[in-house]
Amino acid sequence: MLLYRLPMTAETATLSPVEPGYKQVLRVRAMIFWLPLLIAAIIADLVFLLPTPFYGLPSVGIAFLAAMAILVVPSRRYQRLGYALHPTLLQVVRGWLFHADTMVPLVRVQHIDVTRGPLDKMFGTADLVVHTAGTHNSIVVLPGLAPERAAEIRDEIRRHIRSDFE
Amino acid sequence: MKEAAATLGPPERLHPISLLSSLAASARGMWGMFAAGGYFAIQGHWFLLVVTLAIYTIVSFGSALLRWSKFSFVVGQREIRIDSGLLSRTHRSLPFDRIQDVTIEQNPLWRVLGLARVRFETGGSGGASGEDDGSLAAITLQRAGEIRDLVRASRGLAPTALPAEVEAEAVPIFAMDLKRVLLAGLFNFSLAVLGALVGFTQTIGNPMGFDPFDMDFWAGLIAPGTPLGEFVMDNQVTLFVAGAVVLLLVGLATGLLRSLLRDYGFRLDRTATGLRRRRGLLTVTDVVLPGKRTQAAIIATGPVRSHYGWSELKLQSLAREDSGKGDHVVAPLADDPEIADVLGAIAWQPIGRVDWQRVSSAYVWALAIGLSPLLLVAGGQALFFWYASALLPDAVGGEMGEGFDTMLIVSTLILVALVGTIAMRWMAWRRYAYAFDGDRLLVRSGWWRRRLRILPMRNVQSVDYLQSFIDRGLGTANLLFGVAGGGLTGHGIKALPSETARQVREQLLSRFQ
Repeated sequence: MLLYRLPMTAETATLSPVEPGYKQVLRVRAMIFWLPLLIAAIIADLVFLLPTPFYGLPSVGIAFLAAMAILVVPSRRYQRLGYALHPTLLQVVRGWLFHADTMVPLVRVQHIDVTRGPLDKMFGTADLVVHTAGTHNSIVVLPGLAPERAAEIRDEIRRHIRSDFE
Repeated sequence: MKEAAATLGPPERLHPISLLSSLAASARGMWGMFAAGGYFAIQGHWFLLVVTLAIYTIVSFGSALLRWSKFSFVVGQREIRIDSGLLSRTHRSLPFDRIQDVTIEQNPLWRVLGLARVRFETGGSGGASGEDDGSLAAITLQRAGEIRDLVRASRGLAPTALPAEVEAEAVPIFAMDLKRVLLAGLFNFSLAVLGALVGFTQTIGNPMGFDPFDMDFWAGLIAPGTPLGEFVMDNQVTLFVAGAVVLLLVGLATGLLRSLLRDYGFRLDRTATGLRRRRGLLTVTDVVLPGKRTQAAIIATGPVRSHYGWSELKLQSLAREDSGKGDHVVAPLADDPEIADVLGAIAWQPIGRVDWQRVSSAYVWALAIGLSPLLLVAGGQALFFWYASALLPDAVGGEMGEGFDTMLIVSTLILVALVGTIAMRWMAWRRYAYAFDGDRLLVRSGWWRRRLRILPMRNVQSVDYLQSFIDRGLGTANLLFGVAGGGLTGHGIKALPSETARQVREQLLSRFQ
């Protein structure tokens, strides 16, 4: 359990979590991905593998992976996702196996989107999408925010946007 | 929201005529429907045809209408907000300060109706993939003009004219004569071209009779009986050497030709705003590069070029070429003083004496660990087939033994390639270093492909601190910077000790605090 927590350094100690509803968003997304695979595996098992010694292997294997992806992974990913709105910087931290800690100076933001898909509406979350002029990492996504919070951050960032580009 | 309402105007919609253009767009996407309709018409199923057409009309018109009704925009004092989308609603806000360019376009129909499309370019991410950052199809021309004036006024800028032809200076800052172009062509010879040539001769070339590793190729070229012919045809080794020489010559010629076509008459001039580059033999291109829009510079060279003091200078710029690439070669082959001259022309300081910092040897280890599964497999295979081909043939017979020999060669080659990759990485590590030069960050990398990136810190758009599980084990992290202008990615510093990485990030971001 401890293994999955973010390292508690001075910088990450101030990170805020996103909405718990985001876990459900991730979970439903995982279901949408894994359930058809599971059904396909079961059918493949029944149709092709019945006479072979591998019978049952795909069903059990995929079922295990699906269970992990649906039951365990979303809360882990949620735990490792954090953000901080510093006075002049937006920080988005995510991932453990491939840990990424992105910092965007607010004056560097080109424009801001707040997007909500059907799942987001269902669970009361929204994505804040920050566009910078960079080619690498030009789109920084902070998912799972409460819509009001997303709008708040958007307004806060907009206050910093001024014309020092070029 | 209350506060926002005060500074924002009323929501506005597009002119309903924009339905027409979105209908046309959806008609292009509905070719399957048309194919079905055509099929029904040919088969004489008129009823089905009518139903298909009716469904098509209702669906496309309905969806266009829905999309139109869900699209609205609000013009404020400092920004434009565009709300769009049916299921996924997007609320985009485009601050005026960020809008680089406002384009007003009219097609003939719109001109009659007094409408126009307004396109905003923010220099943001969308531009690279061809998608606009924001556009308003079909609003009245008058409104379009008002919006453009509002955007310009908020930036406090006079209308920016196009980068006009500025009279060229008598003496160019950098020019290449024919000799230099040909020399550049010699260095243009690349292993990739050689690889492609080998692939070509072994696949398409073979039936066409162009395979210098084949006996027949030489039999046709050299009269039998001459000493050279006899020598080449004599055995496999000389045949291979002769073939390699031919490919090398073809590769060299290709490089020379490419350089000649592209860089003939290369000339770089200083203009009031930046640089002007003219080059080309058959197609002459003329590009103006505004100096202020330059985001980074890359000095590229290789072991041989560097030995003779040559390198190439590229600028990464916001101004995009037609090809969509954001990097511009401003000196294909130049010596150090010439490069300093070109950099000086856009008011960049030459590189001073800096304190180069090496990175952790994890630069090599992370790759080695990443490749280790492959290494193990290849090594195991090589051992197995070595054992098999050395000991088993007597037991299993000749044909299978030969198979083992081939497999031994293949797996050994894979092993050698993997070890070679790691060895190259080690050579690169010995050169890899970074340094702060005033307000610029310098990163020196590569052994074969040597690169020196000069990145003014004010051009950093974002900083990523990346750490995979391998890096974490080694106690290092990679920094990756977002820099505007397409073409050259991968600005960053690899394999820094975690603590140093955080410090460097602090230093880079300190100017924003």
